[in-house]
Amino acid sequence: NTFMLYYSFKARLQLLGSTVLIAGVEATENQLLEDQTKKLHKDMKKSTEADLAMSKAAVKISADLLSNPLCEQDQAFLDSMTALDTAMRRMDSFNQEKVNQIQKTVIDPLKKYSGVFPSLNMAVKRREQALQDYKRLQSKAEKYEEKEKTGPVMVKLHQAREELRPVREDFEAKNKQLLDEMPKFYYSRIDYFQPSFEALIRAQVVYFTEMYNIFSELTDQIDQAGLTDEQRERETEAKLSELRALSIVADD
Amino acid sequence: MSRRAFVSRERETSIGRRLRPHWSAQRFMKRPSRPIGRVSATSPSPTGCCSQSAYSAVCVCVYVCVCMYVCVCVCVCVCGHPFPPPPLFFPNWPPLLSTPPPPPPPLPPGSHTHFYTVFLSHTHTREYALTHSCRMRPSSSSSSSSSSPLCVCESVEKVTPVCVCVCVCVCVCVNAADFYFSRDGAQQDRQREREREREREVHHSWIQDSAQAFSDMEVPRRPRPSSCMLALQQAAAKDPRSSALREENDHDEGDPFGEETFGGDEELDGSLDGSVETSELAGMNATLSSRGSCSEESSTSAEEEAAEAKKKREEEEAAAKERAAQRQMLAIEELVHSERNYLRLLRLSSGTIRNNLQKLQPPPADLDSVFLDIEDVIDVSSRLLGLLDQKLVQPGDPRFLETLCESFLGLSSDIEAAYKEYLANYNQVTVVENSYKQKEALWNDVVRVIKTSAPEVNATSLSFFLVMPVQRIARYPLLLQTIQKHTEKTHPAYALLERTAHTSIALNYRINEYKRFREVADKYKKTETLTIKDKIYRLNTHSIAKKTARFGQHIRHETGMAPKLVDEEFDALEGFFYVLEHGILELLENVETYLYHLQGFLSCRTEEFDLDMDGEKAPICYKEITTALRQWILPTFEKRMRTLIRKPLGALRDLLVGPRNLIRKRLDKLLDYELIEAKSNLSYEEQDVANTYRTMNTLLLNELPQFTGVALQMIWSVLGTFSCLHRDLAADMEQLFQSFAQQLPHSSMERGAFREWAESAVLEGARRLETLCRSVEHTLNGPVVQPLSPSSRRRLKQLTDKHGSGKIYQVVGSVVGSRDLDLNLARGELVAIISEADTRGDKRRWLVDAGGPRGYAPSSKLIRYHQPTEDPPPSPQLTLPDGVTETRRHSYTPESQPMTVMSQPCFQVLAAYDFTATGNHEVSVRAGEPVRVLEPRDKRGNPEWSLVEARGGARGYVPSNYLAIAPRPPHH
Repeated sequence: NTFMLYYSFKARLQLLGSTVLIAGVEATENQLLEDQTKKLHKDMKKSTEADLAMSKAAVKISADLLSNPLCEQDQAFLDSMTALDTAMRRMDSFNQEKVNQIQKTVIDPLKKYSGVFPSLNMAVKRREQALQDYKRLQSKAEKYEEKEKTGPVMVKLHQAREELRPVREDFEAKNKQLLDEMPKFYYSRIDYFQPSFEALIRAQVVYFTEMYNIFSELTDQIDQAGLTDEQRERETEAKLSELRALSIVADD
Repeated sequence: MSRRAFVSRERETSIGRRLRPHWSAQRFMKRPSRPIGRVSATSPSPTGCCSQSAYSAVCVCVYVCVCMYVCVCVCVCVCGHPFPPPPLFFPNWPPLLSTPPPPPPPLPPGSHTHFYTVFLSHTHTREYALTHSCRMRPSSSSSSSSSSPLCVCESVEKVTPVCVCVCVCVCVCVNAADFYFSRDGAQQDRQREREREREREVHHSWIQDSAQAFSDMEVPRRPRPSSCMLALQQAAAKDPRSSALREENDHDEGDPFGEETFGGDEELDGSLDGSVETSELAGMNATLSSRGSCSEESSTSAEEEAAEAKKKREEEEAAAKERAAQRQMLAIEELVHSERNYLRLLRLSSGTIRNNLQKLQPPPADLDSVFLDIEDVIDVSSRLLGLLDQKLVQPGDPRFLETLCESFLGLSSDIEAAYKEYLANYNQVTVVENSYKQKEALWNDVVRVIKTSAPEVNATSLSFFLVMPVQRIARYPLLLQTIQKHTEKTHPAYALLERTAHTSIALNYRINEYKRFREVADKYKKTETLTIKDKIYRLNTHSIAKKTARFGQHIRHETGMAPKLVDEEFDALEGFFYVLEHGILELLENVETYLYHLQGFLSCRTEEFDLDMDGEKAPICYKEITTALRQWILPTFEKRMRTLIRKPLGALRDLLVGPRNLIRKRLDKLLDYELIEAKSNLSYEEQDVANTYRTMNTLLLNELPQFTGVALQMIWSVLGTFSCLHRDLAADMEQLFQSFAQQLPHSSMERGAFREWAESAVLEGARRLETLCRSVEHTLNGPVVQPLSPSSRRRLKQLTDKHGSGKIYQVVGSVVGSRDLDLNLARGELVAIISEADTRGDKRRWLVDAGGPRGYAPSSKLIRYHQPTEDPPPSPQLTLPDGVTETRRHSYTPESQPMTVMSQPCFQVLAAYDFTATGNHEVSVRAGEPVRVLEPRDKRGNPEWSLVEARGGARGYVPSNYLAIAPRPPHH
């Protein structure tokens, strides 16, 4: 009878081992996912910040120029700067809108998603704890089983088994739960992030379409020549050498 | 023209006075004779009784004495004796007769020299050559003409001063005797002069031969005298007498070059101060004119002679006309011919020599900068010649002069532009050449190359060729003026010629000004990077005085003690410049910021984290988009930003330094200037200061508007480029995103609809995630159901009974009490919370009941214990122990317990009597004061004491029997 019990314990232990392993694999997958999510979240946030900062810097370029008394000298220059400033502000507002959209549809979900990991990790830890408790009590019960079956020992054995039973149930419940939930969680990412990515792309499309409209209008206004890069460089070089030819310019 | 330029011009013409030694010597020979001649010719003897011979003998004695004195003077002068020679006699001797001057010293880089100074240094070389030519002269000629005073200067370097002295004495004596014994002194004098003239011409032609030899190597400095002199000789052969007279006229004119040049200077400036040069000139003129008048006077000794002279003069005039025409032609030919020669040499240097130099191993550094501006000069010169050749008018044609002038005038602006740059950069050229000279091997190579490339000229340095434009531009006025001199005022092209000559002078003047501006600007526009040590070394009394004066003047401005010199135009320009500078700096800074953020954006590698969503459309699209973005579009954009916007702006910023330094320096100079402005006569330094200020002011006034204009245009175009770059970026991006967006599952949706969908989808996802999360937490995150030992279970029951299940906590880690009243607890032990703070209100120490013993435990180690089964609702707080007197007193029975539970707020605990605390753990209460019972027993479980919180929040024990329970007043 006791032998039977013992063997049933052994078999159960082996079974346990495999489930432990499975849960472990799931855990590492989740670990990877967690890392990626965190990094993606971080980078997304960073790139959005950089994007915003870029846009603000562009606005500052035109705003500073517009506030410079330089503009008061020349009406045409002032007009150009005003046009530039308007364009920059419009671009900035579109950018702001895009960033808001991304924040709402990409960054926040990412944040929420990565927020799940701590509790999941905690669950894994709890399961680990339960496993440890279970193993400890089981080895205690096994110790009594191996001893001579005297009266007090039998009493102790009984007591140990009584103690072991709820722990084992606890562990098994937790293990099962994890085995259930973790893959579910892992696969949920696809449905979860699909709209985010799509929204991200769509937001950019909208933004760049607007930006293109704004800047082609502006370019028509302030950069009519439509030169190639080489021509521009040559022109700049010509102007610079014109300046360098002046006696008052230190050329070195 | 500045004084310096004047001086150099004056010196430069010394070559034109090659003949001066001869006639200078002649002059001193003649001069002493003059009073005698005059006395003998015009004034009657004052006494009348004295015999003519005795009178003459006295005259001879006096004459000899005077001659001796003069000879001594000459000797002293020749031997380099410190006594200065009388300036009247020898304005130009010392440089000619002194030992050969050293080769031109290398010009220090950035030295404050004008091109005339350069010119001068090369003139020295020429003088050297001439002196040598004198020296090399065959001794036979010197001995054969020993009676002529010419030998004085020629042989002077060979014979000792004493010999010279003796020689001169003898010659003077012979002269004097000659004079004395001839009755017709004037006639003889003239005769002798003619002879001398002959001799001189022979000598001239010899000099010309040597000069011809040199003219191959250097541009001749005056109208080709060889041909000129030959013509003169021919004329002299025809009519010796008239030629002699002509010569006198020529003497009266003095050196045509010297006078012409001075005349030009006076025309330009008219402000020649009474400098040494002028006095010299005046003195010389005086000498010449007096001499001329003397000889004229002597020539009109008899009446028949006067008639003869009149006749002669008419003849002379006719001959003079003819000769003038011939001279004019020669002068024109001279110009054209020398121009051809000049151009040939320039081409030689910039072609053959340059190519050969480049073939050297290793090629000399900075060779290109040496020949940088010479191409323009060659171009303009060849165009000038081309124009002359094109017209198909031979130089002999009278119309040729017109052509010449028109060509010159037409090209004058080009000439100015070409030569301006060349001359302004000539210092740089000499610096480079000197750097070659430093390296001996290289220099030897260079000299070898020059010699083999141009064997026909005797050139030994690069600057031999490179200085030519410097000399040439200064020669145009001289050549033109020579032509003008020999042109009749009635000539049809005379006005044009005059204008051309003026143009050429103005050209020189402007070039000189330009060079001066450039030098002032170069001096001050650079930012000096000096260490403190250097600055301290630089400090001297002068600079300190200067700085102090400036500071004082500045203070006076600020305090309003002295009015500030205001130049409104400049102030406006300065203000605009500063505004522009500020704008540029700000723009550059903003662009930098923009690029920095762009870098930041590029460093986010969002495409690397695809969350393992391999098979899904959107993430793949996103991945591809971001990859394309990061590897292609944005780097291109960034590169264009850098090359088309950042780089020009950076360059522009660097260019701001020069004007800024000059503006600052101008203020310094202004302060200096203001101090000396009021003074009427300025010292040389002060004039220099004033000039520097004016130059800087003019320079800035001229060039600042150009600078700001171009800079503004640059800003403008940069901003246009900025906009264009953004447009291109947006176009690329839009295309990229659009192409992928069409592959997405929801691409057909409208923008608004898509947004709604996306937001709702995200929300839905979040909701599901939350559910999942909660379920995980709920089942897994729950407390570990500890197997409760029977003792624990008993404890749990006891505590639950006593405090209610809401107060049961479990110890998560073993606790070892460290302070008074702390409990030692084992892990997993169950406790009930009595108070969530200690008596001092410390929330971290909780008062707990560990199933009997009470004490404090750290709250961090306690977690709420969840029982598997739901507990009954928490029992009432106030559970006064049974058998307390109050119950009896107030006839409340234990049956009222449920009621208390339900309507617990309806009752309150009051202090029935006054109680005064006797220790730290007790609290004082007054009768009737409401208190809150925290614990109806003390820590040892003794129900005789209760832990209460009094009205002020003070906590402590009071005797339990001092408390009474009472219904709450209805208004509460």
